[in-house]
Amino acid sequence: MILANIEATAALLQTSLPHVKQPVVIGVGLAYFAVIIGISVWAARRTKTAADFFVAGHGIGLIALTVASVSTSVSGFAFIGGPGLIYTVGLGAMYIVLPASVTNVMGAWVLAKRMRLLGEARGLMTVPDAIGARYNSPASQGLAGIAMLVGIIGYMATNALAMGVVINAIFGVGIGWGIWIGMGITLAYSVAGGILAGIYNDVFQGTLMAVASVLVFVFVLKIGGGLGNISTSILSHDPKFLGAWGKMTPLAALSFFFVFGMGSLGQPQGVHKYYMLRDPMQLKWYPLLKTLGLILVLLLYFGVGVGVKAFVLNGTMAPLSAPDQATPSLLLSVTPLVLAALVFSGVAAATMSAANSFINIGAAVVMHDLPIAFGKRLKNELKWGRAVTVLMAIAAALIAQNSGTMVAFLGIFGWGLFASTLVPALAVGLNWDGATREGAMASIGTGLFVTLALETASYFKAFTFLSGVTASAVALVLSFLMFFLVSWLTRRDPDKAIDPDVRLIMEL
Amino acid sequence: MSASTAHRIDLTRRAARVTLVLAVCAIAGGYAAAFKPGGAPIWAPWLLAVGIPSALGGIMALGAARGSAGIGKLKFPFAFVFVVLTSGFCLALGLPANESIQSTLWLGLPARAAIVIYGIGLLPIVVLPVAYALTFDTQTLSQSDIDRVRELAALRLSASDEGEKGDHE
Repeated sequence: MILANIEATAALLQTSLPHVKQPVVIGVGLAYFAVIIGISVWAARRTKTAADFFVAGHGIGLIALTVASVSTSVSGFAFIGGPGLIYTVGLGAMYIVLPASVTNVMGAWVLAKRMRLLGEARGLMTVPDAIGARYNSPASQGLAGIAMLVGIIGYMATNALAMGVVINAIFGVGIGWGIWIGMGITLAYSVAGGILAGIYNDVFQGTLMAVASVLVFVFVLKIGGGLGNISTSILSHDPKFLGAWGKMTPLAALSFFFVFGMGSLGQPQGVHKYYMLRDPMQLKWYPLLKTLGLILVLLLYFGVGVGVKAFVLNGTMAPLSAPDQATPSLLLSVTPLVLAALVFSGVAAATMSAANSFINIGAAVVMHDLPIAFGKRLKNELKWGRAVTVLMAIAAALIAQNSGTMVAFLGIFGWGLFASTLVPALAVGLNWDGATREGAMASIGTGLFVTLALETASYFKAFTFLSGVTASAVALVLSFLMFFLVSWLTRRDPDKAIDPDVRLIMEL
Repeated sequence: MSASTAHRIDLTRRAARVTLVLAVCAIAGGYAAAFKPGGAPIWAPWLLAVGIPSALGGIMALGAARGSAGIGKLKFPFAFVFVVLTSGFCLALGLPANESIQSTLWLGLPARAAIVIYGIGLLPIVVLPVAYALTFDTQTLSQSDIDRVRELAALRLSASDEGEKGDHE
């Protein structure tokens, strides 16, 4: 879903949100920032070690972790870009979120237990840490870290830009100031309270998003006279919209399902959270609660996308100037202003939540994984973590402000890059003792190279993808095949290649 | 662990792995076919329609397999979800695309849309997370598992401490 968030962010480059600087909206926005600051001050007082900073001291409870995870997974895409995409391509856009019916529990079976137990046994803090431990290979850990950094740079910059756009819409301060205000607030809580501040701010933000989503969905159904009437309005003007694939080809829609389904196992902002759960036995209810939370947050995605299409077709709303105006136009024309304020704060919340998560993960790669790859270990990881966090946030803000459409390009391939570089090596590797470090490195390298090469060629119009085929999907498939092939070619005795504690965790 | 138990675990994991490899090959075949002159042939999306649920099912089974139980009772929810996803995609591909104002609505949506949203999007939610929670203690994790991991971690730590002491001496 984050990829689509970035695509939505990219779309914001062209459209921007309408200004909504009215007292109610500004008041709700200020109240929101006040809560963020309060949570951050509290978290900063509890952050004393690198483990506190990067994995919340392995001490987060089930509910907090679940809500935070929902908040990070969904991001601003569910509120702005997603409904706009449904408005444009119809039901085909649902294939981005439909895998959520499977992905949370799949992640729990494939990764959650093993990652959490690796954290228990080895005190691991990062996703590349797990790859390093599994393959007994600092080089694999370093390569995974580099691949993640490439994706994180794009995410950070695009989220910084999205913050600028949303804060400008609420307060009317200009996009440039919006970027620095948003990044400044995110940075303050990221540096002071690390992931602990991030998690509890995510809990607040996720709750806000869920409430806003449910309220907007109920309003849409009420205004439209129920889903049946909404469907009838659409079917009478544009029946293809409600076809099984919407206006997309079956191959394209199925590609969405594959990349966003299988790819979920490689998204560090989600996978990394498994380390943080206080009691591993609480994993029992994690998939159920997270799936229910996601459904609530995604109600707006479906409701607004389908609802606005019907309202425009039956004349209740004026035609949109751009697809990304679906949510803002609906909120500003037919719902109470306080609900609009809640949703706009929710979007700001989502971008900050995503930025915080990626700042933290990126800082951990720079000061933890890369030194380990070169055989070094920094002495004061907390101090260095804070310093790198500041540098990464400033770099992201500068890129967002100065590199024009290149920001969108950097962000677009994030999800696919994480998927193709991490899914085979991490998700299959932790469950198959025949996987080798050569296979893992070949897979990570293939994912990195193929994604960058195809996306760059596509960006500079040197290559056009055929309908339904995407760089992310091709890279993911090739990465899988390379992983299996090279592991088979370099197969060796797993008892000698894997440490006993890691072996036990893989067998459980 | 007896030889037959080890054999059964190996079979479960091997079957899951083979399924995953074949499914990825099917998906790759679907994409490769799209490069044929004249565009993707009609069978290309069918390869994805079967390949994607197989890949997801394969990797889930690989993750869920453990000890002498293999995937145990989880074979039922896994089979259910595989059937729901595969038949959902295949029905979406195979049923005629004739949505219109005359279409019968199922819970507010025309038939193919209802299959996609309620079948593919919602039915697995009713089964999978509940199956995960109900089988968690026997199939996924127990306190004794955690104790075993902690014991081994402590042994590793003490061996590493002794190694460091030896180096200093």
